[in-house]
Amino acid sequence: MDHAYVEENQIADRYVMGTLPAEEAERFENHYLSCPECLDRLELTESVQRGFKRMAGQDAAQLTAAHQLAVVAWLARLGRMRQLGVLLAALLVLAVLPTGFAVRSNTKLAQAHSALKQERQRSVDAGTLQAELEASRRQLAGEHEARTRVEGQLAQAFQPRANVPIVSLVVERGEPEGDGPAVHPSASGWVLLEAPVEPPFQKSYRAVLRDGNGREVSRVPDLQPNERSTLSFSLPTALLPAGAYSVTIEPGGQRFNFRILPPG
Amino acid sequence: MGVDSTDAVSEPDEAAVAADLVRRIAARDAAAEGELVERYRRGILYLLRRLGALPDLADDLQQETFRIVIERLRHEGLTDPAGLAPFLRGTARNLLIAERRKTARRRTWGDSGELAEAVAPAPSQLQTVLLDEEARIVREMIAELPNDRDREILLRFYVAEEEKERICADLGLDSLHFNRVLFRARQRFKELMERFQKRQGAPGRAG
Repeated sequence: MDHAYVEENQIADRYVMGTLPAEEAERFENHYLSCPECLDRLELTESVQRGFKRMAGQDAAQLTAAHQLAVVAWLARLGRMRQLGVLLAALLVLAVLPTGFAVRSNTKLAQAHSALKQERQRSVDAGTLQAELEASRRQLAGEHEARTRVEGQLAQAFQPRANVPIVSLVVERGEPEGDGPAVHPSASGWVLLEAPVEPPFQKSYRAVLRDGNGREVSRVPDLQPNERSTLSFSLPTALLPAGAYSVTIEPGGQRFNFRILPPG
Repeated sequence: MGVDSTDAVSEPDEAAVAADLVRRIAARDAAAEGELVERYRRGILYLLRRLGALPDLADDLQQETFRIVIERLRHEGLTDPAGLAPFLRGTARNLLIAERRKTARRRTWGDSGELAEAVAPAPSQLQTVLLDEEARIVREMIAELPNDRDREILLRFYVAEEEKERICADLGLDSLHFNRVLFRARQRFKELMERFQKRQGAPGRAG
């Protein structure tokens, strides 16, 4: 790789920023391994970028502090009565908002109650509609039961889960298309998957889960690498009957295989 | 991308040196092994750090990389002797991936100590001083710029990380002007940083 090309195309800057395309990053890495000039350039570029980011961070912090100080200064300049007025106005807003919501809810409730009353009256008057009313009541009871069930599931979802299996998705050296790790489904109902990604990092990734027949099972968007350069996400075991699966990380197209073993 | 045409000028040198090293190491030339380490050591260390290895781990993996590569060259050589750099690079990356895999497996067992170690350490006082100095030098460098447009170029490129093409299109600049602003900024930063390091009496980087 020619140094003029590196300079003209900001290769070192883009490499440090992680915006260099993977193929070009690979060529640049092969070049700089034995190039002191490019290593100097990279270290200088990192230093410059750190300086800019630090300066921007300091400016942002100062701006925030200045805004806060401006509000405090404005309050301090007001007379005691005005300060009290501002305080009362704030309290009023806090008090009025919930009251407004409550009034609105009550109005809706009254309207619903009135409509129900009219409906009942009409049902009484029209005997032929009695059966329909009964059916509606049964349906309502069914919905209530379903709702109770969902609420139970929701409450359970907030409970801590023990023994959640963690599947580390890795490509074995020399076995890029192996079966990958195998896990037993657990009583916790969830499986946690972790997939490594390599710099340069993208702003976000998505994971596409496919079963052994290549059918898409699930899609997890907005994944971001953590400090260990891995993406992590969990899936309910209800989505994962025993069998072979693959996870494809996009962009990049890196593919990992794993298997869910039959229970027991 | 224009690289191919320039590769032809510079890369034969690297290819020739690499092929010579591979040949001599296969012939059990101990000096060649020393030359191999000397030539690629800094680059491998930088690569490992760039890939996220902490300093101690990067040191260990660098040594392991050279051990594996030298063993391989002594006994089997390389199919493409000119491909020594990609071979070194691949070995270093694979070692780091294997290390992460090991760590991930350990983490499966809920080792909270491992998790605690995973937290990035806060910068030391010295590092904080160097970081602040870098920011101060950037401020000084920006203040010296002749016009607001050049300031905007640098801020959009280094802080907002916008693409060169977009900045040039927005500001009606040609590529040459953009390159010139960046080049001069880096040179000036380097001068100011060297002056600072001279004042401190020791080189130092905040990284």
